[in-house]
Formats: sequence, C-alpha cells, structure tokens
Amino acid sequence: MKRSLDTRVALRALVVFLIAAVALTWLLSTQSTAVATEFAGFASASSVDAAGPPAVSEALALTDAKVATEVAPTPEQTAVSESQSRVFQNVFNGIVFGLMLALASVGLSLIYGTTGLSNFAHGEQVSLGAMLAYFFATDQPVSIPLTPWEFVIGWPLWLASLAAIAIAGASGWLQDRFLWGKLRKRGIGVVQQLIVSIGLSLAILNFLQWWIGPNRIRLSKAIEVRQQVGPIQVGAITMMSIVIAGVALVGVAFFLQRTRLGRATRAVSDNPALAAASGIRVDSIIRLVWIMAVSLAALGGILMALYDNGTKFDVGAKLLLLMFAAVTLGGLGQPYGALAGSLVIGVVVETSTLWLGPDLKYATALGILIIVLLVRPQGILGRAERVG
Amino acid sequence: MGDLLVDVLREAFTPTTAAFALAAIGLNFHFGLTGLLNMGQAGFMLLGMYGFAITIREGGSIWLAVLVALALAVAFGVLLGWPTLKLRGDYLAIVTIAAAEMVRYLGRSQNFNDLTGASTGIRGNEFKGPFENLSPFPDRMVEIGPFALHGTRSTSWWLVVVAWSIVAIFVVVFWRLSRSPWGRVLKGIREDEDAVRSLGKNVYSYKMQALVIGGAIGAVAGVIWSLGASVQPDSMGRPTTFWVWTLLLLGGAATIFGPVLGSILFWSSLVLVKGLAALWIPDDVLSQQELEPFSLVLVGITLMGLVIFRPQGMLGDKRELAFND
Repeated sequence: MKRSLDTRVALRALVVFLIAAVALTWLLSTQSTAVATEFAGFASASSVDAAGPPAVSEALALTDAKVATEVAPTPEQTAVSESQSRVFQNVFNGIVFGLMLALASVGLSLIYGTTGLSNFAHGEQVSLGAMLAYFFATDQPVSIPLTPWEFVIGWPLWLASLAAIAIAGASGWLQDRFLWGKLRKRGIGVVQQLIVSIGLSLAILNFLQWWIGPNRIRLSKAIEVRQQVGPIQVGAITMMSIVIAGVALVGVAFFLQRTRLGRATRAVSDNPALAAASGIRVDSIIRLVWIMAVSLAALGGILMALYDNGTKFDVGAKLLLLMFAAVTLGGLGQPYGALAGSLVIGVVVETSTLWLGPDLKYATALGILIIVLLVRPQGILGRAERVG
Repeated sequence: MGDLLVDVLREAFTPTTAAFALAAIGLNFHFGLTGLLNMGQAGFMLLGMYGFAITIREGGSIWLAVLVALALAVAFGVLLGWPTLKLRGDYLAIVTIAAAEMVRYLGRSQNFNDLTGASTGIRGNEFKGPFENLSPFPDRMVEIGPFALHGTRSTSWWLVVVAWSIVAIFVVVFWRLSRSPWGRVLKGIREDEDAVRSLGKNVYSYKMQALVIGGAIGAVAGVIWSLGASVQPDSMGRPTTFWVWTLLLLGGAATIFGPVLGSILFWSSLVLVKGLAALWIPDDVLSQQELEPFSLVLVGITLMGLVIFRPQGMLGDKRELAFND
C-alpha cells in the first residue's frame, strides 16, 4: 500500500515536471522561430550571402561543430541554435541551482512535516554553513565576536567544509535540545514557534554579519575553467557540486525509503500521535530531523558559495523565500515534493533571465508561489486536504 | 551620559518611532484583533510611500497622493487576501512575506528605473515639497528644551506634530473599532473561526476587511516614514516587518496603547543599548560598526524571549492572547 502510494506520487511529480519542461521548450521554440523568421526575412530582403558573419558562425561552431564545418550556416539556423544554447545553458544552470536549493528545502520540508513548524530561520542555517566553511578555510585572519584575538585557520576546503557541516549539525542538535524541544514540551503553538523562529533568524543573521562582516567573501580562490559539453558550458567545480548534491539527496531518499529510522521519520511526519503510540520515539526522531536538516542546509550553503563564486552573510535570507516557494510548490511537508519544487523553482528562476532582468529573477519564483497557492494550495505532491 | 539620555528621549518621539507605532497599529488589526499572520507589513509601507512620492513627483496634490497610497495598499491587501485568507495561518505568513519582498524586488528593479528610481529610490526633495509648504513652523532650527530639530524640513517639528496626531487618531479609531460589534466579530474569528462561521458570519469577508484596513494604516505609516527620510526600497525589507512585529509584541498585541508603547520602548532602548555598549565595551572587542548588528542580535533574542515567556507583552492580558493555531 505504502509502496504503491509512493510510486504514484513519484509518477505525478514526473508528469508535472515533464509538462513543465515541454511547455517551456514549446514556449522557447515559438519564440526562437519568431526570431529566426524575422532574421531570415531580414536576410532575404537585404540579400546577404548564405554564410553568416564570422562572429555568428563562431558561436555556432561552439554549439554544433559538425553543422558548422559541413554545412554553410544559414542565418536561420544560426539564430535558432544560438538562442537554443542560451536556453540550454540557463536550464542547466537552473537544474544545478535547483539541486542546491533542494538540499536546503528538503530539510525545511522535513521539519515542517515532523513538527508543523514553518522555520523562518532555515535560510540562516544555509548562511551559517557557508560562513563556517569560510571561517575555517580562509587565509585571512578571523576572530570570534566579543574576543579580541585574531588568528588564521586556513584549512583546506574539504576539511573546512566537513568541519562546517559537523558544527552546523551540532547546532541543529543544540537548537532542538534547548529551544524547539523545550517549546514543544511546554505546549507552545506552532504560530508562536513561527515567530520565535523569526526572532532566531534575526539573531543569527545579525550575528553572522557581526562575525564575518558585511562584505562578499569567497570560499576558494580557484577560478573555474568552463568547458563545452554538448550545448552547455560547465566547469569542474560545478560538476563536483552536482555530484555531491546528488549523492546527498539520494542518500536522504535512501534513508527515508529503506532504513528503519527513515521509515519512522515518515511515520512521524504522517501522524505524530499514531507514531508515538506504535512505539516510535518521536522526540529523538525530531532531533535527528533537525540535525539532518541543518547539516543539509549547511552543505547547500557551501556548494552554493562555490557555484556562485562567492557568498555573503545574508545569502540564506535571500534563499528562504525560494525555499518556501519550492516547499509549497511540492506540498508542505513532502520531502520529495521539496526536491521537485526546488528543481522547478531553480529552472524557472534561471530561465526567467532570458526575458526579464536578472534583478527580477527571484520575483518570478515568488510569483509562482502565489499562483500555486491560488490554484493548488496543497502543492504538486500534497494530498488534497483541507488546509484552511 | 547626559547626551545619551537626550538621544534616548529624542528617539522616543521622532517621526520614525511614530511611523512604526502606526505600522504596528495596522498590524494590530491583522494579528491582534483577527489573528492574521501578516509578515508583509513592510510591503504595505513601501507601496504607500511609492504611491505618495510618485504621485507628488508627477505633479499631483498632497491629498491625491495620500489617496493613491491608500488605494495601492487596499489593492495589495485584496490581492493578497484573495488566495490566502481561506488557507491556514502559516500560508498567509509565507505569501505576505513573499509578496512584500516581490514589491521590493520590483521597486528596486532597473526595469522600473523611471518610475521608482530602482535601488537608489526617490530622493526626499522630489516629493517632500508640498508637505513642507503646509508647515506653520519657521524654516530654521528650533530648540525646545534640550531637543533641537528643524522647524519644517525632513525630520522636523512639523512632521513630529503631524505624525503623532495621526497616531493619536488611529489609536482612537482602533479603540472604537475594537469595541464595536465589528471588532467583536474579528476577535471571535481570532478565538474560534468555526464558531463565528456557524453564527452565519462571513469569516472570509471580515478577514479581508481587517487585512485591508491594517494594510492601509501601514501605507500611511510608510508615507510618514518617507517624509522623515526618503523612499528607499531596501529599507523596507523583511527586517522592517520583523521590527514591527517585535514592537507590537513588546507593547502587547490586541491592546490599544501596546503599539505606541512598544514603538517608543523599542527605538529608545535600541539607542540606549548602542550608546551604553559604545561607552562600556572597549573598541577592540566591539567596534563601532559592529554595534548595529550586535544590537539587532539583541532584538532577535528579545523577540524570541517575548514570544516564549511573555506572549501578552507589557500591556496585554494573558487570557486574551492573539496566538492560536
């Protein structure tokens, strides 16, 4: 029973994703052909030779070497493939971004599922991971707030990242042990907890600014060399990030699907009271979820800092709403929904730059959030239940 | 030390404090009376100041500008409430915060540079003129007791008088409305939505009215804020909303004077904390530029502590709590 439900859910996610992809490519192809016909019309009117201008054919050579060498490019083809490669690049960037966003939003969704809390401090967990990694990895002198000493740690990046994730995980444990666990025990409602999480996010955000400073920082000095793979450009660091993010996400899925603890987590997520009655220790499961969620967010923060070539103390605050958009899109409390939602949001955010200015790319994600709530408030994967 | 005291007292009555008190009164309609989790009050404020400043810049009169500001806030409220007021509370929180950020993103976008001035915003001298022309105060620095403010320009005695008069008006409005049959229905929704529904009230419509009224008050707050400073989208980000929440909860949600007391206490103690920290903590431990984040860390912790240990705030009644699930 459980099994069939899961495959159904996965199928539905796939269908939605495919529809989105088809719609997107259709939209893009109509647009690019419109451009192409315009271009062709212009070409025939001014009777330009069949061979395109050198700059254009060079761009074409990048995208489709065979065509470039064998067939003399017509302007029409050039226009199509150029805009297509931009589309591919953006979609690819979107998927990478979506994977990293997923690392953070899966945790957000797990926390929501098991405790009912919309954790507004989750964005700061992302920043915390990136800042901790910077703290351990940088060769600049660093210090701890309220202490006058300055020192240099300068660990290699992998060690720094592991340390950062470990400390972030520990902070997740601390948070649940001394804050959220206590609040649950006192029977404080989720709305109050939500506002507590806002207070916590303000505190952590400003603490990070106080600690690391307001400037943009870089985790690694290495400059990524991008290589052409098919229609897209990709660098080694990005590939590595994709692999790490993918492994982490598959690991979470494996944990949830195949292990006893994971099954217990899903049970708590479904119905805490019932789970407790059947002998699951709900509090330890929730503590585990907190540790996992915060470490995943930290990993997401570090990968995002590498991918974006820099980070800032408020990176997570900016991502928080994208995470909420992703989680809501996928269905609040559904970890796989969060994954699907993150990918959709990532792709949308990145491809929106084809039409809109880059300063509006986050706004599109928030627009989606509002539309989803209007049309299907339980999200793609959420069960149709009364949410009001 | 004496200077610090003057600074703290001065902060208690600046137009900014009044603007935040007003925004909190608006939020009190949402959260205090109705239990709505509006996390986008800064969006209402920003829309209000855009509406006001742009109308005046384009040659409209000051009254038209206020109307435009209010109309924008009303439209925004309706737009927000329409999909979300039927949903659970935290959805409204997510949507309002997202929508407020969207307003800010759109406002600071280069695409609307001609309209909103992108991330630099709209400078004060482009829209403050008509308001300052109405001032009966002299056009120079005026000292009253230990406080020296300009008579007319920017953060002036004129603005102080106007801002606090508006605050007083809305305190009375809140007092009358919260005691009216209409206000009792809102409180009923806050306590038990289903019970009110079963009495035949249209809960959705009441919630919408509360959202729109509170948002419009937020827009007025935005206008006052911008008259004391300028229109700057990034000053109306999420932290602003969170401050409004903190000071509302500090004073006491669902109380009449809570927002005013909360705002005065919040801003004065912020100045006090910064001043004391600058005096007592040596510079190599906490430098001048670290004071701001340090004090905001304290704000965050205050908010957490308030909600956990004294959710009714300073003036509130424990039996009448706005929190419910």
